[in-house]
Amino acid sequence: MNVLIIEDEKALAQELEIFLTNYNYICEVCFDGASASEKIATNLYDFILIDLGLPDYDGLDLLKEAKRNESEAACIILTARAEITDRIKGLDLGADDYLPKPFSLLELQSRMQAIIRRKFGVKNNIIDLSGFLIDLSNRTISYGHSVINTITKKEFDLIAYLILHKNRTLTRMQLSEHIWGSVVNNDYDSNYIDAHIKNIRKKLNAFASPDWLETVRGLGYKIKINA
Amino acid sequence: MKLRTKLTLFNAISKLVIVVLFVLLVPVLIKNITSNYVDSKLIKQKNKLLQIVKSKGIETYIENGEGYGSYLPLKDEYISLDEVDPNFFLDTIKRGKRLFSEGDTLEYRILSHTFKVKNKNYLLEIGKSVDTLDETSIPLQNIAFQVLLGMILLTILADQFYSNYVLKPLRLIIKTKLVGQKFPNFQSYRKVRTTTSDFEHLDLSIHTMIETIADKFHKEREFISNASHELMTPISILQSKIENMFEEEDINDDLKVRLLEMQKILNRLKSITKTLLLISQIENEQFLKEDKVSVSELLQDVYDEISIRLQDKNIDYEMSMPESWQMININKFLLFNLFFNLINNAIKYNKEGGSIKIVGVAVHDKFLISITDTGIGIDADAIPLIFNRFKKFRQSLQQDSFGLGLPIVKSIAAFHDIEIDVSSEKDIGSTFKLIFPATLIIVN
Repeated sequence: MNVLIIEDEKALAQELEIFLTNYNYICEVCFDGASASEKIATNLYDFILIDLGLPDYDGLDLLKEAKRNESEAACIILTARAEITDRIKGLDLGADDYLPKPFSLLELQSRMQAIIRRKFGVKNNIIDLSGFLIDLSNRTISYGHSVINTITKKEFDLIAYLILHKNRTLTRMQLSEHIWGSVVNNDYDSNYIDAHIKNIRKKLNAFASPDWLETVRGLGYKIKINA
Repeated sequence: MKLRTKLTLFNAISKLVIVVLFVLLVPVLIKNITSNYVDSKLIKQKNKLLQIVKSKGIETYIENGEGYGSYLPLKDEYISLDEVDPNFFLDTIKRGKRLFSEGDTLEYRILSHTFKVKNKNYLLEIGKSVDTLDETSIPLQNIAFQVLLGMILLTILADQFYSNYVLKPLRLIIKTKLVGQKFPNFQSYRKVRTTTSDFEHLDLSIHTMIETIADKFHKEREFISNASHELMTPISILQSKIENMFEEEDINDDLKVRLLEMQKILNRLKSITKTLLLISQIENEQFLKEDKVSVSELLQDVYDEISIRLQDKNIDYEMSMPESWQMININKFLLFNLFFNLINNAIKYNKEGGSIKIVGVAVHDKFLISITDTGIGIDADAIPLIFNRFKKFRQSLQQDSFGLGLPIVKSIAAFHDIEIDVSSEKDIGSTFKLIFPATLIIVN
């Protein structure tokens, strides 16, 4: 997958590149609107990440250009200007998603995965974790022939997020940012993740021990999947 | 009481008092004036008579030692002249009664004067009836009262009219500049037309003050908005760097724990910045109010988000909300956050195993939603301050919070014209009552 990163903050662009490269994306980086415009016109990308606050260009114009070139690229707008008007404008012009800064890189990757699933209509998206079948498209977990329907929406979100970032330790903060991201919380207490994990384990234990859901002491949680 | 009413009232009352005093004084005054007038007349008559005596001799009146007396047919005036003892002396004007041969006793003002002619002493008396004098004073009093009353009414009317005219600019200043202005959103300045320099000064001063306040407000908001926006990018960079470092293979767990600490601190910074930005966006009215959502559904959404916290503290959650209540003209995201923060606080400051009750009641044309907890409560003197930014009162709890939850609640409520009423009792619990105007809730 080819990604064009348009971000004038060099340090951030660099981190985005490192992160996405780790997830096997092929990245190109532009620090200004002019060179980005050129690249959009000549190359084909699967993803274009556009920072709205460019010094020389209105990010929304780049979005228009990208759409005009009939490219298949999915556009994700990154911005520190979280005004709703921008949000509406961005989605009106055909942006596929919108991430207000500061965002977690994991969240970006999760949004990109969601777009991929949507665009390419990934049907068979079932992961087998030692007998537990986790269907990411239909959002169900089953063991053997029985569907485990006690799992709540939040609990499934947690499992899906851990699966998406498999073999990687996710901190409580990263997890709570994902499942409580829409709430403007007045505290940064992420202990409730532990309660959620405890519940998940309890519910799954009724069928089999979910050894794949690991606690990384002092750090967070991880789902181990041997590829 | 309005200034105009006060002025008119004072004018009317003061004039009335003066007039009544005057009318009461009228008899005394009239008595005084008339007696002065009568006295001078009596003296004139006396002088004239003495003149006659001097020029024509006492014989004109007195012959053969017989006294002289004369009066008008109705006896309202009389003169008498008589010889008296040589050592008798009198020169007075005073009231007195005189008896006439017909048996009438009449009251007079009497001038008595003794004088000597040819070694003989004479007493002259000139009297004027006072009955005629007294009779004039009562009608005079009545007339004076009526005339003055009429004049007072006229002046009160004139006063009323004039004060109305002259105070009109003040009324206009109060009406357009002070009453009904939604702080800090003021209308543009419109000069109040007046020729009274005091009002001109007042108008201008109020305008300057309002402008200064509005300007400060605007600057504060702008600053918070800009500052939080500007902070977003560096925070974003730091967060990305830490997240990437976390995955480096050559980083040991010890270092990872320290990275986690950094992430925690950064998260704190992020939360504060995001919250301040949200408040400034609400205050700058950058949110639309076009959503329609059922109250119980929204509360269910909040419950879904928050149930893990209730469970964690073993808190009983009870909701009694009419299913038919629909919120309209609201921003769903903001209302969600309003309820989330209030319920989250109700959990955070609750006792282990406590309870939370959410009740919706319609009262007249208003809708009340109250959130009652069985928590630690708030000191009475702290209640007015709990909505201030960065104020933390309930520090006895080792909670990670930075005192922005209630300011968010307040901003969202103000943005939607929702009133908040807080009542609390220490160690018993608190109730946050949201009062929705009829424009925000419809009953299906």
